[in-house]
Amino acid sequence: MLKFFGCKYKKIITFTPNKFVKKLALIRVTGLSKTYYKGENRIYALRNINFDVEAGEFVSIVGKSGSGKSTLLNLLGGMDTSAEGSILYNGRNILEMSEKQLSQYRKFTVGMIFQSFNLIPSRTAIDNVKLPLIFSNYPRRLRDTRACELLYNMGLYNRALHYPSELSGGEAQRVAIARALANKPCIILADEPTGNLDTATSAEIIALLQMFNKKHGITIIMVTHDKETAGRVSHKTVLLSDGEIIKISTNSNP
Amino acid sequence: MRFSDIILLALNNLRRNTMRTILTTLGVAVGIGSLAAMMSFGQGISGSVAQSIESNDIFTGMTISSREIVTYTSGSKRDIFAGDKRVTPLDDSALNCMKAWQEVAIVFPEVLKPATINLAGRSTTTNLKAVPVEMANFSPFDKISHGRFFSKVDEPKVLISKSLLEQMRIFIEGDNINPELIDGAVVLPEDSIIGAELEIVTKVFDPDKIRLVSTKGSDLPIKNEYSSLKIVGIVENSSFAAGMFSGGVFLPSGAIDFIPCIDIRNIYDIIDGVDGKYGKYNTVHLRVNDHKELKVVKNRLEDMGFKVFSIGDKLDDIEKLFFMLDTILAAIGTIAMLVSALGIVNTLMMSIYERRKEIGIMKSLGGTQIQIRLIFYCEAMIIGLLGGIFGVLGGILASQAASKVANSQVGGLIGCDIEYFEFSWALVLLAVGFSVVVSLAASVYPANKASRIDPLDALRRE
Repeated sequence: MLKFFGCKYKKIITFTPNKFVKKLALIRVTGLSKTYYKGENRIYALRNINFDVEAGEFVSIVGKSGSGKSTLLNLLGGMDTSAEGSILYNGRNILEMSEKQLSQYRKFTVGMIFQSFNLIPSRTAIDNVKLPLIFSNYPRRLRDTRACELLYNMGLYNRALHYPSELSGGEAQRVAIARALANKPCIILADEPTGNLDTATSAEIIALLQMFNKKHGITIIMVTHDKETAGRVSHKTVLLSDGEIIKISTNSNP
Repeated sequence: MRFSDIILLALNNLRRNTMRTILTTLGVAVGIGSLAAMMSFGQGISGSVAQSIESNDIFTGMTISSREIVTYTSGSKRDIFAGDKRVTPLDDSALNCMKAWQEVAIVFPEVLKPATINLAGRSTTTNLKAVPVEMANFSPFDKISHGRFFSKVDEPKVLISKSLLEQMRIFIEGDNINPELIDGAVVLPEDSIIGAELEIVTKVFDPDKIRLVSTKGSDLPIKNEYSSLKIVGIVENSSFAAGMFSGGVFLPSGAIDFIPCIDIRNIYDIIDGVDGKYGKYNTVHLRVNDHKELKVVKNRLEDMGFKVFSIGDKLDDIEKLFFMLDTILAAIGTIAMLVSALGIVNTLMMSIYERRKEIGIMKSLGGTQIQIRLIFYCEAMIIGLLGGIFGVLGGILASQAASKVANSQVGGLIGCDIEYFEFSWALVLLAVGFSVVVSLAASVYPANKASRIDPLDALRRE
């Protein structure tokens, strides 16, 4: 009868017991390749990269200089979108996002930490931490509280009014971490965060990142060339060479 | 991101390089100051002229004649005695008809007698002009600063214009004049002029000579006639008084007949054989109550066949002239403003190159293109606003100083202080608004450039 009246009748029943559902990856990188030209030569920065990042994982990307680690991290952070393949975050391809969507992604989803800290020299530590809160339209009366809380957690409460030039490398990087955490992102992308620091300070920074990963469940993706540290602290270590994944090793109890 | 946050970020950026911000703002201030001063100069001059013209009733007055009135157009002089086919005589009935019109404030025949006058050992030629006593309430006789107006229609007294005294290099004590600057100037107290006897020399026919002309044909049959009348007041100079009241010696209309003088017009009328055709009066002066009624009355008179001359209907030409003046001044000021706009572009571009990495950081933290653009717009707006305010203030101060200097130099010669500059609220707001708009326009390119900075590229740079 329904068919007679031209109606299409379709009923989909899906029922899957929980134990069979594969946990959806937070980030799924599929067939990611990036090329650029140097003169007439085609250079492969990344070649067919495939890996998953689960929510709450600590993932390290290791490799020599020029292996494509930072290129991969910039693609994951939505700073660069000119690549083939896909990077799915919660099912949405970052590479196909509009400029506005990318801004939203960088604002609320990821927090970036750089080797050279990238603090704004004309703004004090607390003002640097408040900057993402300004862009995300965080209530003004709560901004100071939030920034102070973050600096306190980093052990920098007494350095809040200092300018970056008055901070040590470790302090500057901790301000950068506080800034990256300001908008409560679920992913922290760290591009060689210990590259400019001495061994003791590096260990402090890695410990901080580990603490945020374990205590707050924040997913950390860290680029480093220190294989030993990466293997020790990460759930998953992605080894890159010449833009290709050589090996993905896991550590169930970092 | 709130607007207040954008302003704070912009202020923070501007404060970072205070000297450059001050210099750029100063550039805008100079530009907008000169623009505002130029425009206020245009407004002030046209305003002063219009005010002077109105206060002198030039918009309301007209001269009526049955004949073509002497006017100078394109350097050629039209003949006062050119014949006209349709002539309406200008006589008492025509005068009474005009008096009956409700638009008309006053109408009286213009009677002029050429004469030579002698006062305080100085001599000059001028016209004796008849003024009815009703003119007491009209410019320029409503503001007699020295002495008084006539009390009777046939009072045998005269008023002398200040410009005529100055022509004879006679100045009154207390006036802002430096006699040392003028050759042969004499400064007299007011009392010695008012009450003094003015010797008037007019030309009359000499019957004895007429006989000689007919027999010998050698000399004109004219002789001097001497009269003496007491001065009762001095008529102030008015920069824009027209025709009849531009200067001379004024007598009550009933008293001028006591001064004998040859009526040249009558002679020519007799020669031309048109005596009486044009009526009793050569010209008549008429004033309307409101300058808006001038055209209506003029048209009506022209329809009646009279020739009418008034400065009031030249108003359109004057307005056109001032519009041109305003446009030229505004164009010069705009060029100054455009130069300062380039200064803004330069400042913002420099700022972009310096803050390239910072912009990259902002974008990596989630700053959108629009937010970055707004910060730059806001910086330009602040420069424009401050530049506009300081520019207008500077313009006002500079123009006041210039006005003072100009008045001290030429004010004495004109006889009154002129408001060379006029800063209306509209002009102030317009200038500040224009400054902000130009600054914003100047920031469009730098702001777009800043918003398109690739964060990755910017962060790589050290």
